[in-house]
Amino acid sequence: MMKALAMVLAGGRGERLYPLTRDRAKPAVPFGAIYRIIDFTLSNCIHSEIRRIYALTQYKSTSLHRHIQFGWNILSASLGEFIEAIPAQQRIDEHWYQGTADAFFQNIYTIQQERPDLILILSGDHIYKMDYRKMIDFHVEKEADLTVGAIRMEKRHSREFGVIQVDEGDQVIGFEEKPEEPKTIPGDPEGILASMGVYVFSTEILVRRLIEDARSDSTHDFGKDIIPAMIKKDRVFAFDFRKGDRGGMGYWRDVGTIDAYFGANMDLVSVTPQLNLYDPQWPIFTYQSSDPPAKTVLEEEGRMGTAINSILSNGCIISGGSVKRSVLSPRVVVHSYAEVEDSILLEGVDIGRRAKIRRTIIDKDVQIPPEMRIGYDLDEDAKRFTVTGSGIVVVPKGMRL
Amino acid sequence: MKKILVVEDEEGLRLLYDEELKAEGYEVLTARNGREAIQQLEEGKPDLIVLDIVMPVMDGMEALGRIVGKERKIPIILNTSYPGYREDFMSWAADAYVTKSADLTELKEKIRELLEKKGKNR
Repeated sequence: MMKALAMVLAGGRGERLYPLTRDRAKPAVPFGAIYRIIDFTLSNCIHSEIRRIYALTQYKSTSLHRHIQFGWNILSASLGEFIEAIPAQQRIDEHWYQGTADAFFQNIYTIQQERPDLILILSGDHIYKMDYRKMIDFHVEKEADLTVGAIRMEKRHSREFGVIQVDEGDQVIGFEEKPEEPKTIPGDPEGILASMGVYVFSTEILVRRLIEDARSDSTHDFGKDIIPAMIKKDRVFAFDFRKGDRGGMGYWRDVGTIDAYFGANMDLVSVTPQLNLYDPQWPIFTYQSSDPPAKTVLEEEGRMGTAINSILSNGCIISGGSVKRSVLSPRVVVHSYAEVEDSILLEGVDIGRRAKIRRTIIDKDVQIPPEMRIGYDLDEDAKRFTVTGSGIVVVPKGMRL
Repeated sequence: MKKILVVEDEEGLRLLYDEELKAEGYEVLTARNGREAIQQLEEGKPDLIVLDIVMPVMDGMEALGRIVGKERKIPIILNTSYPGYREDFMSWAADAYVTKSADLTELKEKIRELLEKKGKNR
């Protein structure tokens, strides 16, 4: 068995998710009522029996550190297992990380301490369920220096992804970031292979390439510098996500924009979501506080506490209001005569009497006053909130209304 | 005139390198440990560094990382009698490795080679 170490890049700013990323890095953004985005990657590691994990943080990391400390204290240090968040330590030099490759170079001593055979480099920004063991087996079998996780996408989306060009034997022969004219899959002129932000490296090669990169004029970025350099001189292969996809639905989401984030959450309240959270063999671990079970109360004409096609978390009380097609995080309260539709309410949100909320994401600890309407007059909403092109309103964390 | 920074904690050796390299026509800066080396790097702007590994205050490996962080492209020769250094990943950041000796022929050759290479890349 190869000794593997996972390093999760958890410093993503997630600019296009603003204001959800105003106070937290993208991997710490809440998703699916009780999870954070990074939980999916970390759970994949645990289920793949990779239990030595570092999360490299940098930007607005307090929220993430707290989440990992409280929610991920599940491994056994006596068995050599750990999940540890490493802030940018400026161990080697006094500057902040200059790029994703620099983040690893700056942690070269950490790698050295562990001396793994293989290093999994994972983005903490994506939502998917994957058995990394399948990819590691592939990496070993191909005698690869680097294996890149790849998912088929329609050609027209090429400008959103790092696009991998392969030959018939899965060897990577080209890589372009967000190309307009992408190289398509051999025998599939409408398909491209997108990089999933999942990499398996043989340790020595990775360290050598990181050092070479650190000693050259480069932007010190994995996608722009390290991968293209390795394609030229090393054995780089692409691993088809379908061979390691736990869900079997090809589900992998970047949730890089508010609209994508909204859509991915809304998928979860459909009858058969593409992302299955109910697989007993593959639970997604997270931090959960000890809240009482959700409840719905009041049964009067026009004052029914109801929730339909929705996710309710612990601590929620639907008291004489109605909730439809919505995702409610812990401790959300919806008061009498209030209506919530197609919305995402994060922890501790309180919807006052007769308020009406539609197609809105409300971040933590916001109290919506009685009678307020959000999502019904977008021009009016845009004066106070973020409103996306497709009309999703976002109320930032803790906003006083 | 090319400027060489010699980082070496043993005084006798430091003097030897200083004399021999000056005789080769180089300007020589010296430092007694990694911390002084970083100071010299900033103040003296050397063209190449000859770096010992086992030193007090700050050893050569730590200095190597910091030097690379500041001056990505400066050629660095690890000059050591300590054989285990290759175990340390950071040692791979050096451009050349020379076993410490009173005979400086090999070291002088490497210095010439690296300075020539550096000149070409400009």
